[in-house]
Amino acid sequence: MKFINKAILSLALGSTLLVSSCDSLLQVDPRQSIDANGALNTPDAMDAALNSVYARLRSVRNYGRDLLALSDALADVGQTTSNSGRLIGENNNQPNAHFQAGFWQNSYFAINEANLIIDGLAGVEGASQAQRDRWEGEAKFLRALYYFDLIKVYAYMPTAIYQPGVIDEGGVPLELTGVITSGEALGRQTSRATIDEVYTQIYTDLEDAKRLLTSRGTQYASSAAASALLSRVALYRGDWAKAASEATTALGSNVGTVLGGNAYVSGWRSSINPESMFEVRFALAEESIGVNESLQSSYTALLNLTNKNSQGGWGDFIPNATVRGFFGLTPLQTGSPATDNNNWDVTRNSDVRAQLYTTGNTVRGAGRQIESTKFMSKSGFAYADNVPVIRKSEMHLNRAEANYHLNNTAEALTELNAFKALRGLTAVNLSGQALLDEILLERFKEFAFEGHRFFDLKRYGKPIVKTTPAVNLAFDDFKILPPLPQREVDGNPNLNQNRGY
Amino acid sequence: MRKVLLLGLMLFFASAVAFAQDRVITGTVTSAEDNMGVPGATVLVKGTTIGTATDIDGKYSISVPAGNNVLVFSFVGLRQQEVTIGTRTTVDVVLESDVTALGEIIVTGYGSQPKREVTGAVSSVKGEAIQNLPMQSFDRALQGRAAGVQVRSSNGLPGGAVNIRIRGVGSINAGNEPLFIVDGVQLNNQSNSNFTQSNPLAFLNPNDIESMEILKDAASAAIYGSQAANGVVIITTKKGKQGKAKFEFNAFSGQTQPMKYLDVLGGAEWYEMRRDAHINSNSASPEADALNAMGRRPSNWQTLSREQLNQIGLDLPTYDWQREVMGTGKIQNYELSVSGGDAKTTFFLSGSYNYQESSFKPVDFERGTVRVALAHQANDRLNLETNINLSTFQQNVPFSIDGAFLGNPAFSASAVLPHNAIYNEDGTFNTAIGGVLGQNIVLVNAYNSGLQRTNTVVGNVIGTYKILDNLSYRALVGLDYRLLQGDSYRDPRTPDGAGVRGRSSVQSDWRTRFITTHTLNWNKTFNGVHSVSAILGGEFLSETREGISGAGIGFPTFQFRTIQSSATPESITGFWTGYRRAGIFLSANYDYKKKYLATVTARYDGSSRFGTNNQYGLFPSIRLGWSIVEEEFLKQSTAVSELKLRASYGLTGNDQIGNFDARGLYGGGGNYAGSAGIRPTSLANLDLGWETNTTLNFGLDYGFFSNRVTGSVDVFDRRTKDLLLSQPVLWTNGFDNIANNVGELQNKGIEFELSTVNIDKGGFRWNTTFNFTYIKNQVLSLYDGLQFLPANPGIAVGQPVGNPATQGVQAPGAWFVAEYAGVNPATGRPMWYDINGNITYLPLAADRVYKGSNLATTFGGLNNTFSYKGFEATAFFTYEYGAVVNDGQYGFLRENGTRLALNALREVNERTWTAPGQITDIPRNLTTNAGNETRGAGRNSGSAGLLKADFIRLSQVTLAYNFQSSLVSKIGLSKARLYVQGLNLWTYTDYPGYDPEFTGAGTGQIPLTKNYTVGVQIGF
Repeated sequence: MKFINKAILSLALGSTLLVSSCDSLLQVDPRQSIDANGALNTPDAMDAALNSVYARLRSVRNYGRDLLALSDALADVGQTTSNSGRLIGENNNQPNAHFQAGFWQNSYFAINEANLIIDGLAGVEGASQAQRDRWEGEAKFLRALYYFDLIKVYAYMPTAIYQPGVIDEGGVPLELTGVITSGEALGRQTSRATIDEVYTQIYTDLEDAKRLLTSRGTQYASSAAASALLSRVALYRGDWAKAASEATTALGSNVGTVLGGNAYVSGWRSSINPESMFEVRFALAEESIGVNESLQSSYTALLNLTNKNSQGGWGDFIPNATVRGFFGLTPLQTGSPATDNNNWDVTRNSDVRAQLYTTGNTVRGAGRQIESTKFMSKSGFAYADNVPVIRKSEMHLNRAEANYHLNNTAEALTELNAFKALRGLTAVNLSGQALLDEILLERFKEFAFEGHRFFDLKRYGKPIVKTTPAVNLAFDDFKILPPLPQREVDGNPNLNQNRGY
Repeated sequence: MRKVLLLGLMLFFASAVAFAQDRVITGTVTSAEDNMGVPGATVLVKGTTIGTATDIDGKYSISVPAGNNVLVFSFVGLRQQEVTIGTRTTVDVVLESDVTALGEIIVTGYGSQPKREVTGAVSSVKGEAIQNLPMQSFDRALQGRAAGVQVRSSNGLPGGAVNIRIRGVGSINAGNEPLFIVDGVQLNNQSNSNFTQSNPLAFLNPNDIESMEILKDAASAAIYGSQAANGVVIITTKKGKQGKAKFEFNAFSGQTQPMKYLDVLGGAEWYEMRRDAHINSNSASPEADALNAMGRRPSNWQTLSREQLNQIGLDLPTYDWQREVMGTGKIQNYELSVSGGDAKTTFFLSGSYNYQESSFKPVDFERGTVRVALAHQANDRLNLETNINLSTFQQNVPFSIDGAFLGNPAFSASAVLPHNAIYNEDGTFNTAIGGVLGQNIVLVNAYNSGLQRTNTVVGNVIGTYKILDNLSYRALVGLDYRLLQGDSYRDPRTPDGAGVRGRSSVQSDWRTRFITTHTLNWNKTFNGVHSVSAILGGEFLSETREGISGAGIGFPTFQFRTIQSSATPESITGFWTGYRRAGIFLSANYDYKKKYLATVTARYDGSSRFGTNNQYGLFPSIRLGWSIVEEEFLKQSTAVSELKLRASYGLTGNDQIGNFDARGLYGGGGNYAGSAGIRPTSLANLDLGWETNTTLNFGLDYGFFSNRVTGSVDVFDRRTKDLLLSQPVLWTNGFDNIANNVGELQNKGIEFELSTVNIDKGGFRWNTTFNFTYIKNQVLSLYDGLQFLPANPGIAVGQPVGNPATQGVQAPGAWFVAEYAGVNPATGRPMWYDINGNITYLPLAADRVYKGSNLATTFGGLNNTFSYKGFEATAFFTYEYGAVVNDGQYGFLRENGTRLALNALREVNERTWTAPGQITDIPRNLTTNAGNETRGAGRNSGSAGLLKADFIRLSQVTLAYNFQSSLVSKIGLSKARLYVQGLNLWTYTDYPGYDPEFTGAGTGQIPLTKNYTVGVQIGF
């Protein structure tokens, strides 16, 4: 028995030792992550954290596809081919076929990351003031851009609010401090700010960015890009003087170049479009969005322009008769046999932008169609293109439109005609509503397949009218706005769903 | 041994006083299992005390007094047999192994126990029951064998994942996998791998298994504390036995065949379907449009009449892509084992080779294993033991194993439009494929290549030291080491490789588990009636996983297929993760005259996965038993041979979450413009702790008529509290979820096991075993009074959760969809019910109702074995009822090619609405708006796409012949057995897809196969 006692005692003692040393016994630290506490304390970490906020722009739900292709599908730019079945519901303005929950999710994740960077500025050790200014300026630019994209999608524009003051029509929740603890994450239930509050915040952030930033390449935020974005935000807000003045500032900067003639077309064929004042960079092959949902894939079945027979993407969304009419596009056989896709091209009018369209191939079900070729793997690997967010040309159109509303119609007409000349078009002499319509038409042509049209219609409260498919979406239709993600509404009693959902 | 000596002595005296009229009977006692002589078997003259024991070869000689005519043969573990002598002088008997005997020993947590004394809910499956089944991993073979254990193959990949649920789904976000223990080594059973599924349990040749015990109730499993919440499966492998070396050679070979080909449309039929859809959609030229969708519209179509175009469509040929891509596959299995030993040392050595192809080429599985089990009695007190399993297996993988990828053979074979030729007339691949599947899947399958290799070492070293006669110390050190390597090549001649001029991906993944267990075992009997035993132990486990992977693109030609030939590195990544667990435990048993039984256990466990405030948990349990059959009033009963009431209550824990889920972290991610990014990846929860399971179990073990009828009934209430739930966080707060202990889940059920000997007469024997399980699963509560989870409303209070397809995914929740109302007979539009029961064409979120889940409520198995002389026949059925599934493959085909130019099912097409008044469930075909009515929901929306996955399956049929040992011994064999076997030969179901048995989305998954094998087993 003594022996037993000894044995049990020693085991018990051993176990006690085991347990008492358990804190280290159970200590396993991750090797590919770092503790969130103090993660942003170094300049390198700040740079890396900022990269992530930029990188979220690449998401399919943001500039990777939806802010361009999906919003144009909602509008009257094109029609679908049913090659992969994508974008059909959106093009038909079906209920719920609109911007998706992932757009909200990815945007707010990016905003939280930007907020954490702004909150963490004071804690960075060994950083220069120039670095702090850059981090703050870029984070605020990005926060403004994400909020602007959110509010233009989920809410009405200040210039055209359907039934202003109706309870369920607000802006979007405005979060300006970062969440990094579970208490904040589970406790904060923010309601929708008013549309005006959100626009005011976007102004504030962009003014800060303008003040704090210089330029380090068009893949990053710059002072000029902040002015350019401000110009567009002001335009959407109906703040015409601001839209014009910021456009002037942006045009005066050395960021981006307004191109005309063939240079404009070749700008689209180069990896970095010289027109860009800010563009989302796809730098690595692994960042390619792939064959299903990339912009190239959405717009064309071609793999490249050198051999039209190669199987590429889906070509789900192609120009409709209106857009084909802008540029005089009809199929044109250029050689034989007709079965070879390389023997086909399109007829074009004098508008240089017509160069950005050609015939696709017969690889997919819908057969050979006229397609947009604005995105053709320019980054050097398949299905990846840098995506221009703001092209400098827009500033002319912004300013012309703003000047029209400021009753500076002469300036507006001059600017419009100068712009038309850049695109190979003859001058017009218009006034009144016809002039505004012409400015907006030019904007339609210029930004077809770049995701502007839906919002340009929305900010004027205009209906969407399509013949193919035969769909009319009146401005008072609830489907102008997408539903807020149901999980957010279910989980946040303070969050009002959009009308109709 | 003492008994044998005593008997021998008695025999000696008996012979000494033998009368002249005594007869001397001689003979041999052999075991039916291996046809070898049984040494030390008892031979008794019935009704006397006269007896003898067999010698080392199983031979005996006994003197039988006049007037006695019956001999009784018995041996531990074999069924006792009475034989009438008659006029014979030689009586040879073959003793069957006593599978149903309650005298068997059951392996339980850190020990073993006679089944008579087991007080928990434990099912046992013997190795013989699953012997020679052409299955790569033993978990698949458990299907239908034990009550309460639901087994589903995730798909038909040989060596693929198997979904095993013991008493339901007990967790929503933490794992639902049981703990698998092989020879004391707790395995990492993650079956994920980069290019296919690599079931880690496939490392073990199932024929090396001696027995499997399944601890089902929390009280039985509680000694394993953490990880035991989902039950424990303890595998004991074969060990050497004392005696001369016994060799066994075992071989089978055969064929796999598809269980089913889907009945899809032919070329002209598809054309007609599409043409009519265009007519419904008011197309001006439906014939031309239909041909265009098929890639067959002639360029001069505008000059042709509609009749001419129609004739082109009607003349389209049909090619059978399924039969080109699917087909028969080979099965081969060879193994050789030798076991034996002397009084001090025993050994078991085995080697095996297994090869199996699926019905989809090139999907296969090839394995080699080597196993060594050694035991050595170093001295009176010290016993040393080692078990080492070495295994390597390799799987050829297709383009992908699931999903709606055009290059995935299991997706495309049934979906490609049938008018497309597979080969051109000159024998080359046809690459002009019309329809949405614009690539030749046979070409893609032939040109791409890939494989996944898994190398495994599972082994242990065990030392047992007898400190006192009734106290021993046991130390185990175990290792589970696995290396997964894979590569995959996208050939530049295929569409997916063309854009990047070929892509090669490689991957390596190391998984290392180290475990050490130390136990003290003690027992004592007081006053001959109070038996007490106890186990005290400690355990430590550490696991790390580390991986690297990369891909390169741009290959000079297709002949260059390895990554070093690539021009551009495309990606390179890796990972590291690890966790640790430590615990101490105690188990104490008490019984009074084997009549009243009690066990208490407790374990104190810590896991590195939890928040620093809550890493430790205490898991106690109690089990009580009353062996009624031991009571005086039943002792004399001939009808009742076993009767025991059991009750148990216990607590177990679950820590199957991500290793760092409790930590607030910034991880790498979001590289931009060529430089690295970091982002917050998880929120800290310092209070994150154990998800606990409590099970209350009542059971009854019964046996009647000398155990010709045996079995058990169990009822249980398993409740999971403090669910490790991914509690949704508002996205506006920057995160998706946080791991938190909230909510409660219940699995309540009944299990029934029955084993009978129906006929045992004249050498003919018919055994039946049957089991049945019914489980009701429901969510009892969530958090903050919520009735459903905001991010997943299918997870709702009062509703069942679904069965998660693989480890690490959230349980899917009940189906929460609008109820389908069929087709409007007047217009052909699909209709649903709104929340008020009225018809709607466009159901809203508010119209959704609960429609069950993919978790079967009822399942089990039925086995019949017939034997006569050397012949043996087995028919084994499994069944499942109550699962509601969504089958992605069927969903695509159910669209009738309206959304995408994919093929369609004949039965669906025939049910399509075509004329007013027709009552059906398939809407009219359209080509516009993705095939749906312009202001209507999609045709597969709501419950329209849900299917019942009920089935009864003839899982196994075996016909075998065992040659008489006297016959085969002439050619130097101790045993010879021939058999033919068929698996999955027949399924009773009205399931319209490939097979109701799968887990996951169902899209492009490789279905299970029928298997036919012929085998031989030889002992020498």
